[in-house]
Amino acid sequence: MNLLLIDHEDSFTYNLAHLLSGFGNLEVKNFYDIKEKSIKKSDIIIFSPGPGKPSDYPVSLDIYNNYKSKKKIIGICLGFQLIANGEGGTISKQEKIFHGYQTYIRTNSKSLRFPNNALYQVGRYHSLKLKEPFNSSSMHITMRCEETNVAMCLESHKYDICGLQFHPDSFLTPNGKQFIRKIIQYKK
Amino acid sequence: MNNSEILNALYESDKELIIYRNSEKNNFEIYTDFAEKVNLNIGNLDKFLNKLERFKSNKPYDCYIGFFGYELLCKNINLKVNKDNSSFPEGVFFRPQTKIILNKQVKIITKSKSKLLKDLKALNKTTSSNSNKISVSPNVQVYEKIFNKFKKNIRAGETYQIKIAQKYSNKKDLDVVNLFFNLMKKNLSPESFCVRTNDFNIISCSPENLFKVKGKKIITSPIAGTVSRDKVKSTKEARKFFENNQKEDKEHNMIVDLERNDLSRITKANTVKIQNLKFVQKYQYIFHNVSEISGTLLDNVRLSAVIKAMMPGGSVIGCPKINTLKLLNKEEKEPRRIYTGSFGYYRSKQDMSFNIIIRSILNFQKNNEVFAASGVILDSTAKNEYHENYLKAKSLLDLLK
Repeated sequence: MNLLLIDHEDSFTYNLAHLLSGFGNLEVKNFYDIKEKSIKKSDIIIFSPGPGKPSDYPVSLDIYNNYKSKKKIIGICLGFQLIANGEGGTISKQEKIFHGYQTYIRTNSKSLRFPNNALYQVGRYHSLKLKEPFNSSSMHITMRCEETNVAMCLESHKYDICGLQFHPDSFLTPNGKQFIRKIIQYKK
Repeated sequence: MNNSEILNALYESDKELIIYRNSEKNNFEIYTDFAEKVNLNIGNLDKFLNKLERFKSNKPYDCYIGFFGYELLCKNINLKVNKDNSSFPEGVFFRPQTKIILNKQVKIITKSKSKLLKDLKALNKTTSSNSNKISVSPNVQVYEKIFNKFKKNIRAGETYQIKIAQKYSNKKDLDVVNLFFNLMKKNLSPESFCVRTNDFNIISCSPENLFKVKGKKIITSPIAGTVSRDKVKSTKEARKFFENNQKEDKEHNMIVDLERNDLSRITKANTVKIQNLKFVQKYQYIFHNVSEISGTLLDNVRLSAVIKAMMPGGSVIGCPKINTLKLLNKEEKEPRRIYTGSFGYYRSKQDMSFNIIIRSILNFQKNNEVFAASGVILDSTAKNEYHENYLKAKSLLDLLK
């Protein structure tokens, strides 16, 4: 299996790369340096965390839109927001900023990859969030922050797409690899 | 002359030398008789690193010891920096032929004793009465403006943590070796060093190791979190302070993940481990919150890849590193030169160590400069951080008075 991790020059991308590396051949490419060939041969495209907002990365948004129906797609943090943006969602500032926080999140019954009503402790680095109401016929919010109710996971019921607002790669997320395993092993 | 007399004569002379604190052995190492001196720039850096990869020390004195400056390290990862119009070198490495170990006794290991003795003529020291007035850049108004701009960048997610540096400077002649040892009496820091050359001098009491390579293992020990000893009295209280202080704690979390990331670029998958999370170190005026993270280097990893992944050290810059450096280089007008660069030694691919150059005086062309930086966090104020910078620089500013 070939994995393509698109790096938005974050200082957490390679933590994610180490988590992913056990699941196949991993290629890490900078967002401004991606060749069509890398995308074509990949089975899974992963959008890394990164600074800024989705509209700062038009090339990544194009890749999402072109391949969302064709390949498994995973987004982490900024990657989650790219997915949300690609589905018509708006990304906005949040009152409380979660940089370096460890908080609880809870799953709901819409999740296809995770058990219902499960509570997880996760690490977070985000000042922006998915603005709600977020209306999509196929994309569902399947995890939320216990404290603020902010969306923490998006799962598609139509395609093989999953985005996490939190960081499975952080040392603040115990068992971060479990999240990645469940998403990668999920079959549509 | 016995060994102690030789060492004193060396101090009194104008011979170029480096003093390096070896905290593992609890001694000082003095290096001199430089057979080679390599001035680095972005044009010859890769060539130099390739040369180091082929180098292997087989004498106790034989090594390359020196520093990579901040501007060079930024250029090395393709970032634009402010132009430094002075002739200050962007990095310098020395290859010594004499090593003197200063413990309870003085031990000299040298390629040629006659060469060592040759230049040891005592100098007539000139004492001058230069201005002692210390100037600060940026001043508090400009600092506040940058601070508030970066707050907006944090709200917009463009940086998660960013550290603005300030430069304190004055004009005064320094008796470099004496000042260094005076400083060591008051503030013995694990990564201290002193460089005396014909062109510039450095006195540093850096507390922070950036990385050490021992065999295949690489270890980094980032510092994130500082509290004044006026505020808390004991190590135990300091630990409580860091645990209860949201700002310090979150800053630290970020840096742990950042350093795990930087190590992950050059290490085997799943070998990166947090060895020691958030322990307290005590200094003259402050306590620090430190973590220790290690990994196993990739087979055949290039030295240039290690330098690119690790430098400049993230804990003194902010997070994410690249975008934060871009924001800093846009707003900061003073070249940082040695500040937040790295000083250290290279003996072989399996044996090297580099620190982060902070808490340092650079003496260059009759000018002394000290930098200090602290973080912009949303719930901190410009005045607080301005004061924290002063605190960090204080033990050095005392020397400049």
